[in-house]
Amino acid sequence: MTMNLFNQFLSPTFLGLPLIAIALMAPCLLYPSPAPWWQSNRWMTLQNWFIGSFIKQTLSPINTKGHSWALLLATLMVFLITLNTLGLLPYTFTPTTQLSLNMAFAVPLWLATVIMGFRNSPTHALGHLLPEGTPTPLVPILIIIESISLLIRPLALGVRLTANLTAGHLLIQLVSSAAFSLLLSQTTAASLAVGLLLLLTILEIAVAMIQAYVFVLLLSLYLQENV
Amino acid sequence: MPQLNPAPWFLILVFSWLIFLALMPPKILTHQFPHEPSTLTAHKPKANSWTWAWQ
Repeated sequence: MTMNLFNQFLSPTFLGLPLIAIALMAPCLLYPSPAPWWQSNRWMTLQNWFIGSFIKQTLSPINTKGHSWALLLATLMVFLITLNTLGLLPYTFTPTTQLSLNMAFAVPLWLATVIMGFRNSPTHALGHLLPEGTPTPLVPILIIIESISLLIRPLALGVRLTANLTAGHLLIQLVSSAAFSLLLSQTTAASLAVGLLLLLTILEIAVAMIQAYVFVLLLSLYLQENV
Repeated sequence: MPQLNPAPWFLILVFSWLIFLALMPPKILTHQFPHEPSTLTAHKPKANSWTWAWQ
């Protein structure tokens, strides 16, 4: 029974070709490049507004040196939010449910912030491992704890996104299969399940957008610490 | 859990980074954020356009 439920997360292949590549192309195909006219159409204006206000919000706490990360953070945000929300359509595959993809983004980007911090200001970067005002006997253990928390960041970043989206999709599948199987025998229970499904879908839309935002926000925080 | 199957991990990494580095940035870069039009009576136009920083 469990194996049957998790089958939706199997990376799809067709005649040996991985179809995840097509799923990953979706953000590129859905956003046409803006044209150089002064006044663009509504879709372009909306995109422009979104990217502009997102970058403004994300980069304002970061000092000027970190502003070169603007393109990367904006691209990551658009990429993740598109993949997450598209995955909520029936019969679509969500690449961000794959731990491999989320770790593939989390680990290199986190490592980049850490390496930047250690190269530019190693004392300052090491200073993050000991909070100010710690009583002396607690210093060794606190350094160990802070180092562990530093090393666990990429794992947490990747697993958070994977787990949230996987759990959401799993719940939707469970509740919808319950509603479907109960449809003829116990219609009231089935209609309650359909109501639950509606609320769940609304929650999942919110979660999809929030989790993409949290991923990028945490990366910007790690950048802020190290720049 | 099929997500823990190590077989497509490297392929997924390569594909996702390829798309993330090669295909998405040009689309985002072409978005420009020009000056907002100021009124005629403004003595000093506020120069607040922003470009994708590279330094």
